[in-house]
Amino acid sequence: MRAYLLSRLGQTLLVVFLSLTAVFFLVRLGGDPVLLFLPMDIQAKDLNEFRQRLGFNDPLAVQYGRFIGHALRGDFGESLRYKNDALQLVLSRLPATLALAVAALGLTFCVAVPVGVLSAVRPGSLVDFLGMTGAVLGQAVPGFWLGLMMIYLFSVRLGWLPTGGMGSPLHFVMPCVVLASFYAARMARLTRSSVLDTLNEEFVLTARAKGLAERIVIGKHTLKNSAIPIVTLAGLDTGQLLGGAVITETIFAWPGLGRLTVQALLNRDFPVVLAAVFVFSVTYTLINFAVDLLYGWLDPRTRRRA
Amino acid sequence: MTRFARMLITLAALLAAATPLADPAAAQDRARTKEVVVAFAAEPRTLLPDTIVDWTTNNMVEHMYDRLVDRDPKSFKPSPMLATGWKIVNDTTWEFALRQGVKFHNGEPFNAQSVKTTMDYIKDPANKTHYLPRWSQVKEVQIVNDYTVRFITEKPWPGLIDRIAGSDFLPMPPKALKEQGVQALAAKPIGTGAFRFVQWVRDEKLVVERNPDYWQTPAEASRVTFRFIPEFSARLAALLAGEVDIMKDVPPQNVEMLQQSGKARLRATVSSRINYLALVNLKPGPMQDLRVRKAIHHAINVDELIQQVLKGRATKMCGPLSPINVDYSSKPQCIKYDPAQAQALLKEAGVDPTKLQLTLDTPSGRYPLDKDVSLAIAAQLQRIGIKTNVVVNEWGTHLDKIKNRTTGDMFFLGWGPALDAQNTIDQLFSASQTYSSYGNNKALDAKIAQAVVIVDPRKRLEAWAELQQMVHDEVPWVFLWQQHDLYGVANWIEWSPRADEKIWMYEAKLAR
Amino acid sequence: MKGFVGRHGRGVLGLTFAALVLVAAVAAPLLVAHDPGQTDFAAGLKPPGTPGHPLGTDQLGRDLLARVLYGARVALFIGVCCVLLTALVGGLLGLLAGFFEGWTGAVLMRIADVQLSFPFILLALTINAIVGLGLRNIIVSLSVAGWVVYARVVRGEVLSVKERDFVHAAHALGLGRARLLFRHVLPNVAPSIVIVASLQFAQFIVAEAAISFLGFGVQPPTPAWGSMLSESRDYLYVAWWLAAFPGAALALTALGINLVGDWLRDVLDPRFRV
Repeated sequence: MRAYLLSRLGQTLLVVFLSLTAVFFLVRLGGDPVLLFLPMDIQAKDLNEFRQRLGFNDPLAVQYGRFIGHALRGDFGESLRYKNDALQLVLSRLPATLALAVAALGLTFCVAVPVGVLSAVRPGSLVDFLGMTGAVLGQAVPGFWLGLMMIYLFSVRLGWLPTGGMGSPLHFVMPCVVLASFYAARMARLTRSSVLDTLNEEFVLTARAKGLAERIVIGKHTLKNSAIPIVTLAGLDTGQLLGGAVITETIFAWPGLGRLTVQALLNRDFPVVLAAVFVFSVTYTLINFAVDLLYGWLDPRTRRRA
Repeated sequence: MTRFARMLITLAALLAAATPLADPAAAQDRARTKEVVVAFAAEPRTLLPDTIVDWTTNNMVEHMYDRLVDRDPKSFKPSPMLATGWKIVNDTTWEFALRQGVKFHNGEPFNAQSVKTTMDYIKDPANKTHYLPRWSQVKEVQIVNDYTVRFITEKPWPGLIDRIAGSDFLPMPPKALKEQGVQALAAKPIGTGAFRFVQWVRDEKLVVERNPDYWQTPAEASRVTFRFIPEFSARLAALLAGEVDIMKDVPPQNVEMLQQSGKARLRATVSSRINYLALVNLKPGPMQDLRVRKAIHHAINVDELIQQVLKGRATKMCGPLSPINVDYSSKPQCIKYDPAQAQALLKEAGVDPTKLQLTLDTPSGRYPLDKDVSLAIAAQLQRIGIKTNVVVNEWGTHLDKIKNRTTGDMFFLGWGPALDAQNTIDQLFSASQTYSSYGNNKALDAKIAQAVVIVDPRKRLEAWAELQQMVHDEVPWVFLWQQHDLYGVANWIEWSPRADEKIWMYEAKLAR
Repeated sequence: MKGFVGRHGRGVLGLTFAALVLVAAVAAPLLVAHDPGQTDFAAGLKPPGTPGHPLGTDQLGRDLLARVLYGARVALFIGVCCVLLTALVGGLLGLLAGFFEGWTGAVLMRIADVQLSFPFILLALTINAIVGLGLRNIIVSLSVAGWVVYARVVRGEVLSVKERDFVHAAHALGLGRARLLFRHVLPNVAPSIVIVASLQFAQFIVAEAAISFLGFGVQPPTPAWGSMLSESRDYLYVAWWLAAFPGAALALTALGINLVGDWLRDVLDPRFRV
């Protein structure tokens, strides 16, 4: 067990390190960061002085070495745009994003899994047709279009829901629905195909032959076994939700990590971008780890792997 | 589309048609308690004054901190605020008389020491403030007595008063700064302003409350909340739903709908911010020929652009400075729309318009309808046969290109607030300036260098007037317009926007 | 009949929509009188039903019907290019990683891991921030962000196909590695590639909308549904048709192609896992 944990830890560090290195060099290709956060009436020599003081005139290798050295101590520097510690800024946004991700995933599960199961249990029926077409529609409609339509309907015309921001459970409704429409769609389709596969397996046929009630066949025997791909997707989706809900966060003025990262990218705020990448890689590998542990519980056959 | 989906849509449409606009209960409550909500697209980058040059940041910071010298919103001339009077003592010394009886939010008195400490803060490289280069000409601040200070400059700087009349100098509390340090002040701002800091929830809202001990009559609003809503249509939705009371930059096409909404109306002002089409002469190309530049200007119908694209929401300019610029001279004549003249000039310059291929760089969404204006300009040039390729840049890339002189033959840009000549002409017409499009004109450079050190106000105005004529004759730009700032303001608030783009809730009058 | 509808109904529906889009793309010049980039400032924001403009005009007076139809070309172009690029690169890499396990496989999968740890949209955005705006650059960034899926899927399939009896037999008969790979393994993995391709096609088209939303849309005058949707945000309350028609076109296309993909999967390989 210990060897397993150590090896996972090693893999985590490797992935994090590679991510940071790749992004470090990638963002620098985007252009001069100093231009964007200084006023437009700045003189060339003052521009250079700022660049000098922030260390951007040093050779790339030196900058990289300095960055790694500081990063190892958890210091990602000060944001170029805001006068705040970069890592602190990123971490302060994490709770809002996590809350939204958890809520959206919850809604996704509650909608997608039942729809997927129903469709799989009655393949070719009207229920299947409607469910899967609805799912495909959910993936086809751009999120921001849906979000803006919802704001117009529910906030401006009906006044039922607030237009954005955080603050009350009501604020969660529209962002969650918009996010879930995409992820639930995917998950419904995956659930359907996964359950379909399991239903064809021998042990299910056996259970049916034994005369067990349909409900038990599905509930007890099928679900746990079809869960693996679902859990995998959920893990991937959580990672995507943390940083990928940019559009939803922008439209609903949600103070989340995705929006912060995109703005940092556009503003060439390197310290914040790198701090965000760090948080993403760590979270992603942690989730992967949790998913693997969950595999072990769901399907003991996979437990032997180390 | 599936039947299910169609059913849903029909249901939603019926619902929407059957109900009136949302009940403005929230707005009514706020009218009673006198709480105003202002929507911004972004949050402030810091709550420290004198640190970061950013319109959004300064607008919020200036609710808690006052300017030393303000600008009169009508005449745009410097007007007293924390300083009551000023004069030039000698070539390198400005003297300011300070207002008495003003207190910071923590009880500290405002006096000469505050001014000196503030300048020391700005000039300390460790603070990395953006204002350091702007104050580089000031050697030090001398305290004459408790309510008199002197700014000592390296060289004569008659333009100091223009520099100080604005957000560039907001006095900070010396005792708090010394005892608690910069970080503490950033977390809990202490100024002399009309409002006191209450709370800042990052990326969500900033809340300030009325300062009852303000040195002028206390504000009518008891509380101001700034909400940060990045998406434009969500901001507009919030205004229409009564969640926010004031927002900036309503696109011209939405004005009518706003006026008819019954919740808010349009409040417009002519801004000091100018838009222009730069004709780049800093690199080899057709724009290096004065005749070609003139021809391009004649080929563009600025009135049509204003009427059709901006729906009349812009004020045409005929020279590098706008009429509300304090150094404005009305001498330069408008270059008329004259396609025949354009053709003639091009022929004279030996250029065949149908063989000309120009590139126009533009940002998108940075200035009102910038991309659309650029496309319209390209269409107008097509009328005399010139093919223009419009390249849309992301803002950072746009700035990069301009600075590195890698834009096309033309680029679209804005500049502001442009309230005095030095900060406009000096910045944009010589090759050594960062965002200039025109340069290498020795006569012009010499005249500018001369003008900035003239102390006598009358002679200064004359020098700038001459410069405006010189710049006008060189046609470095197609002179476009002053922007109109279009604000959506809730019906229960009486507030007029300012041309210098300062949004200050102290000036808001609330309906009973 | 019910069985046919259930099994093939979705496929037929999908193919119908896809065919409509194809016709629109190919026959666009024949179907509209206006050039999609033709501006007419006096006729800005005219509603649907205006004479000469059945779907209305946008803020610069460009005919919306023309832009929507020509936009089909751009959408299909984006879909085809991205799918080809990602399938080729991702498929090939996945093939190699699965076949030659060991170092190649491990390195490739680690790179995939690193890339997967980024949210898709951030990766695409980073690339666009470097290479710039425009149609070609969108295809580049979407492809770079999207190859990983293929690599993973193909590798998984190769790993399982490798263990099958006929491969062992061919190997025992002394067939060279290359021949084994391309003549025996690849044909069995091909269905998965096709299925993933059909599903990704629609994803790429919708992703263009996301990239345009963030400001990295195509350059004018190219009409792309995603960019049109993004631009329509400013006029949502005064010109609903600017969002409705491109949005409907986008949804219809993605819907059609997804349905076809689902049907293909059911027909080609009912045991396929997404």
